Amino acid sequence: MNPEFIKSRRVRVGISILIAAAALFIITGQVRRIRNSKEQVLTLGVFSDSYWGVQSGYANKIIDDAISRFEAEHPGVKVQYESGIMKTDYSEWLSEQMMKDTEPDVFFVPEGDFSTFAQINALKNLNDLVKEDDSFNPDAFYRTAYEYGKYGGRQYAIPFECAPNMMFVNKSILDSEKIDLPARDWTWDDFYTICRKVTRDTDGTGIIDQFGTVNYSWIDAFDANGVELFDEKGKSCDFTVREIGDAIAFLEKLSALGSGNSLSERNFAQGNVVFQPMNFSEYRAYKSQEMSFKKYSGFEWDCVTMPAGPSGDNYSRLDTLSIAMSENTTQEEMAWEFMKLLTTDPQIQSEIFEYSAGISVLPEVTQSEETRRRITQSTGSEFNLDILESAMEKSVTRTRFRGFDNAQEEVGLAVRSILESNSNIQMEQIIWNRTINNYLKNMQQRE
Amino acid sequence: MLEKTAAVKRDLEKVGEIPEFMFRILILLNLVIVLFVTLISSHALWGYVNEGTALDFLLSAGRIPPQNWVFPVTGMMLFGCLILMLTVECNNHPELVSKLIVEFIITIGISYVTSFGYTGIVVLLLADIMRYTIDWKKRALYIIAVSTFYLLMNGNVLQDWLGVIPLSVSWEYYRADHYVRFLSILGMLTLINMFVFIFYMVLLVLAQTSEKESILKLNLELKEANTKLEEYASDAVRMAETRERNRLAREIHDTLGHSLTGIISGIEACIVLMDIAPDATKEQLRAIAEVARTGIIDVRRSVKALHPDALETMDLENALLKMIDTTKRSTGVEITYFFDADLNHFNQDEEDVVYRVVQESITNAMRHGQATKIRIEITRVDGDLHILIFDNGKGCENIEPGFGLHHMQERVEMLGGDLQYKGDKGFIVLARIPIRWGTET
Repeated sequence: MNPEFIKSRRVRVGISILIAAAALFIITGQVRRIRNSKEQVLTLGVFSDSYWGVQSGYANKIIDDAISRFEAEHPGVKVQYESGIMKTDYSEWLSEQMMKDTEPDVFFVPEGDFSTFAQINALKNLNDLVKEDDSFNPDAFYRTAYEYGKYGGRQYAIPFECAPNMMFVNKSILDSEKIDLPARDWTWDDFYTICRKVTRDTDGTGIIDQFGTVNYSWIDAFDANGVELFDEKGKSCDFTVREIGDAIAFLEKLSALGSGNSLSERNFAQGNVVFQPMNFSEYRAYKSQEMSFKKYSGFEWDCVTMPAGPSGDNYSRLDTLSIAMSENTTQEEMAWEFMKLLTTDPQIQSEIFEYSAGISVLPEVTQSEETRRRITQSTGSEFNLDILESAMEKSVTRTRFRGFDNAQEEVGLAVRSILESNSNIQMEQIIWNRTINNYLKNMQQRE
Repeated sequence: MLEKTAAVKRDLEKVGEIPEFMFRILILLNLVIVLFVTLISSHALWGYVNEGTALDFLLSAGRIPPQNWVFPVTGMMLFGCLILMLTVECNNHPELVSKLIVEFIITIGISYVTSFGYTGIVVLLLADIMRYTIDWKKRALYIIAVSTFYLLMNGNVLQDWLGVIPLSVSWEYYRADHYVRFLSILGMLTLINMFVFIFYMVLLVLAQTSEKESILKLNLELKEANTKLEEYASDAVRMAETRERNRLAREIHDTLGHSLTGIISGIEACIVLMDIAPDATKEQLRAIAEVARTGIIDVRRSVKALHPDALETMDLENALLKMIDTTKRSTGVEITYFFDADLNHFNQDEEDVVYRVVQESITNAMRHGQATKIRIEITRVDGDLHILIFDNGKGCENIEPGFGLHHMQERVEMLGGDLQYKGDKGFIVLARIPIRWGTET
């Protein structure tokens, strides 16, 4: 370069501003845009095993079907995904891709990690896409499943598959004890009555060998009694409310019945326990003819709605697998089309009942005659879709925020210690209220 | 005198070199720090991905960082920008303020890539500002502005707004003892940076003080030289007066003295001769009268030579009119004229040439052409001034450029013009002079 040229002030300022602009360009991640702008490739993030922990052997069948349909409808477009990533490694794999700036355009978001990814701005805000697309109707989804994809008022994810928490019932014990299957609107009182009735020594050894319930956690009790633990941003928690006091009192009553703590899922599997809350996906998996011999084979069993607390209703917690778009995607339009195909197409959604253990997020599909036939066929018994429907209707999802897991653990600690101590519940609630709120405050400050 | 100034100036440059050297060290040090911080952050980010702790990192960071190469690369790019900006010299306050704003933005960028773990780069800006000799009030304003900026950079507002992952989070990748070591190295480098800056400031203040002293010294010397010059000037005036007096004496002696001497000796001869030969006396007296007449002519010539030119006392137009008027009255020649240009806003040299051309032409017309009518036209044509003089004299078939014409031509050409003349029918002179009309209103 001409040395006189560089001596000019204007040239120096110009060069300087140009380089600064280039640096800004790089920092804001525009390089990826240039790199990908001409490609007609849509990348997906999927895991190769079942989300519900029940291996069906049809790992990516639904995705593959969707891809071949999508590629046929959009000539020239290629949809790719990396196979072989297990569910346990999936979130870490996704995080690494994000840090390498190679994350897929569209990816599945497991329930536990949704809020994490939403917080770090890894997910695209879909509000505008939803609003502008007339062919997309949010009301077509189960409300709770759809609401689950919201974070801070923004829609970050669209549900793909879900399953509510339900109460599994050992019908054999109920039959032998001459107790009817609980009604759909049964309450804690009904729940307690049955538990008290069945908790006894059946073989006369002097040791109680038949129990009412296992794994009915404080979270289940809080949900059932309509407790809203934290405010939306996780800044405070009202632990002193009556609903919580009632729930803890109920848990205390339950645990007083049997030898409580020593029980585990094994006891239910062996047929010694009447009730255990479980995800509906388990019902579907182990009711199916191929899998039924693996678990719960020694007795008759079924599932009912969760019992209602005095201030709540028969609420079921919903576990949702959703799909989100990368904040940095360069293929927004294609990505949205593909997300819509996966979540709103009746044919793709109905495949969930064939190749996965969850249920479709579209009531239209889940309640269809076709679905009833499919479930009945695979489980070999007449399935009452109405129970599932009412569970879905009363499904709830929790307010999530940054550090939710730790905050929940803190509440768990409080509940356990109140249950273990014999002092007045209300007083303990006030004491723990302070502790929990201090914890939340500290968590806020650390951010 | 000139040598002395050059010596002081050399001295000045020498004093300024040391702070300049320190300034370069400051730049180099900051470059090393930025490189250090960004490379370690970059390595940490690389480590998270390769050791399968990316999710944990994202959870505690709360946002996705750029790819690991981005920070060192953009850091160096922005540092290059800053160095370029620092070399830009400003001539006034608006320029300096705009430059400072651009530098602020670049500094925010550099601090961003160091996760605001290093903000000491601001001292570079301060060091640059201090290089300008600004009066202390304004300098204080600049210092306050830069310091406020520095505080802002160290507060959390900017960090939160820009979404920075603090070093304490990204460097968590390292073992605790390594982390502490890195932090202490960074702290040490920052301290060294501050020390170098303070040292630089001390040297700069010293240099600027000695610069002021040199300027004061130079000023004093200038004053002395001025006084001497004034003395020289008054001497020169006195000398010119003496010379003029001598000239007058010589002139009087040469003309009046000579004639009077002749007259006196002639009259003395007449006194002797008068009774002996009255006729010869008469003859002698006639001769004396002739001498006296010649004398008076000489005196007139001398007086005329001593008398200042009309042009020196009045403007060009009036001087020309006066000349024409005098000539008409003393010779009876009919002179007409036409001026369409404003003649009063020329430079001295231009006025001179115009006046001489007209004067010489009139003289020539009368002396050589025995003209009885002379016409003078001075017009402006485009950017040129045209002087046209013609007469009804006998003209001149073969023009031999005598002294007068040659002299005129020389003068006109000196102004970039040209002179044409023709003598076949009367005599015509045309002078074209490109005038610098700039001062014309």
